[in-house]
Amino acid sequence: MKSWQRVAGVFLLIVAAVVIQQSIYVLRLFDAGQPGSGFMPFGLGIILAILSALLILTHLRSDPAKVRFWEEGWLRPILALGIMVAFVVGFNWLGAVLSVVILVVAWLLILERKPVMVAVATGVLTGAVVYFLFEVALQAPFPRGRLFGG
Amino acid sequence: MFDVAGLLQGFAIALSPINLLFAFIGAFVGTAVGVLPGLGPAATIALLLPVSYKIGSPVTAIILMAGVFYGAMYGGSTTSILLNIPGEAASVVTCIDGYQMARKGRAGPALGIAAIGSFIAGTIGVLGLTLMAPPLAEFALKFGPPEYFSLTVLGLLLATYLTGENPLKGLIMAIMGLILGSVGLDPLSGAVRFDFGVPDLQSNIDFVTLAMGLFGVGEILINLEQTEAASILTTKIKNLWPTVADLARSGWAMVRGSLLGFAVGILPGGGAVLASLVSYATEKKFSKHPEEFGQGAIEGVAGPEAANNSAATSSFIPLLTLGIPGNASTAMIFAVLLIQGITPGPFLLKEHAPVFWGVVASMYIGNVMLLVLNLPLVGMWAQLLRVPYAYMAPMIAVLTLVGVYSVNNSVFDIWTMIVMGIFGYVARKLKFDLGPLLLAFVLGPIMERSLRQALLMSHGSFHIFFTRPISAVLMGTAVLFVLGNLWTARRTRNKRAPQLESRAA
Repeated sequence: MKSWQRVAGVFLLIVAAVVIQQSIYVLRLFDAGQPGSGFMPFGLGIILAILSALLILTHLRSDPAKVRFWEEGWLRPILALGIMVAFVVGFNWLGAVLSVVILVVAWLLILERKPVMVAVATGVLTGAVVYFLFEVALQAPFPRGRLFGG
Repeated sequence: MFDVAGLLQGFAIALSPINLLFAFIGAFVGTAVGVLPGLGPAATIALLLPVSYKIGSPVTAIILMAGVFYGAMYGGSTTSILLNIPGEAASVVTCIDGYQMARKGRAGPALGIAAIGSFIAGTIGVLGLTLMAPPLAEFALKFGPPEYFSLTVLGLLLATYLTGENPLKGLIMAIMGLILGSVGLDPLSGAVRFDFGVPDLQSNIDFVTLAMGLFGVGEILINLEQTEAASILTTKIKNLWPTVADLARSGWAMVRGSLLGFAVGILPGGGAVLASLVSYATEKKFSKHPEEFGQGAIEGVAGPEAANNSAATSSFIPLLTLGIPGNASTAMIFAVLLIQGITPGPFLLKEHAPVFWGVVASMYIGNVMLLVLNLPLVGMWAQLLRVPYAYMAPMIAVLTLVGVYSVNNSVFDIWTMIVMGIFGYVARKLKFDLGPLLLAFVLGPIMERSLRQALLMSHGSFHIFFTRPISAVLMGTAVLFVLGNLWTARRTRNKRAPQLESRAA
């Protein structure tokens, strides 16, 4: 796991570098002699760079035992993310309620390996609850879906 | 001393039928919102903002929103205990021992003690609000930008050092939170920062989006790594009430949590999240059996739940007396006050005393309502344990995805939430504590505005933070705190080194 801490440290160093670069070249450190919009981000970038370097230094030695980042079930979080991404992509086209139904059905079929009828029934029920809770009760203006003329 | 006549007038206002009704609606909705992961009080209050336009009375509008806010503190513990998913950010800590209690078949006592602790803390919190707000409003007139900056620095350092096991990682998360908080419009100059040409990034990242992503989506991803399909609990749930022994163990934890929560809640950005974290750390230090923490220690539920309720109440103090919202929910309530034509701050008590005392009085009433709502319904919430996580996970995913969209009607917010979810997932895998990030995100804009205004006042000199008395005390406390922790850490390392050497020999 220490190697992953070093990777995290490098990632954070890159973030710090971007913040510092933006603060100096895009924003202004000072504006008419006073602290500008880049002043505090610059300071934060410097502090983050120092802390990231410390993080790397404190994890320089390798793990005595091999510890993997993903120890088990690595595929399921990735599949879940894929389903959520698909939900967002289809959200405006299919509408909120239908997207919810498809998400739940896909989740139960692909991730949880539930029977088709159970997945469909749960999806439809969830969609109905979302409709009544958000669109009817809370009057949230959800998209009806461009596919359906919304 | 407090204004007795004002408080009595407040009760007369709060006990009117319409205000009683809205207090109940707020408490009920707040509890439900707190129970449901993916929907937080801030998102719900945001959804109710259009309703506040239609409510003619500012007192009624604030009573409704305040009820949602502290109601969510009661309800948030339910999901934490039953599902190991915080219903809202302040209940993150309750997951640690509350869920372990549920796994041992003691969900009922955990829920019960959370409700009782919340009631005691809420009552103490409102009493403190009644006594402290008026003199603090007077004192607040002396606060300027240097004092606000020093206060936020101290609050952030407390959160970083008192929570989590690794201060270095905590500090890193805090800095990340401050950086994320600076994305979008600069509050002083109006310049757009870190948008990288993406128009949606020109408005600041929404707190609800961040919180749902880190704690909602991130939690789902972590839980999905478990490949075994199993229901959360298969054992029967008995004894839905805490035992006398539970109450005896929790008594002082609830009192300490209430007082700590009250003190921490006054800090801008401190609020319920920090209060619960500080309380947990404190209970672990005070406990005769610290090894039980993390395994289902009831003090680990009682203290933080008391703290977050007390803090939720005391967080109204900086909102109403300083005009500084300490968190997203009070920021929403700040917006409601502005919609009603009332500017919160030191002059609120002078110019709109009935509004202030009406809200305070309704909190006493709302607290009783929440106890009645939560204790009898404990069994109902406990039945959620029987629903397999296989079905809960997509429900939670739906609620977070749909809930975050409902705040700003923005698909970009959903994308942002997913990205934050991935970040939260990876951070948890690498043992980074997310609490400091969340706190820093809230405090960041206040901190920066105060810093730049202070430097404007002092013509660029940092001496201003140490020459003004109040700021000097706050900043000095922060410096002493950091030095004290560094010294303690060095002593610990020096003690360990000879032991390691002798073992090697």
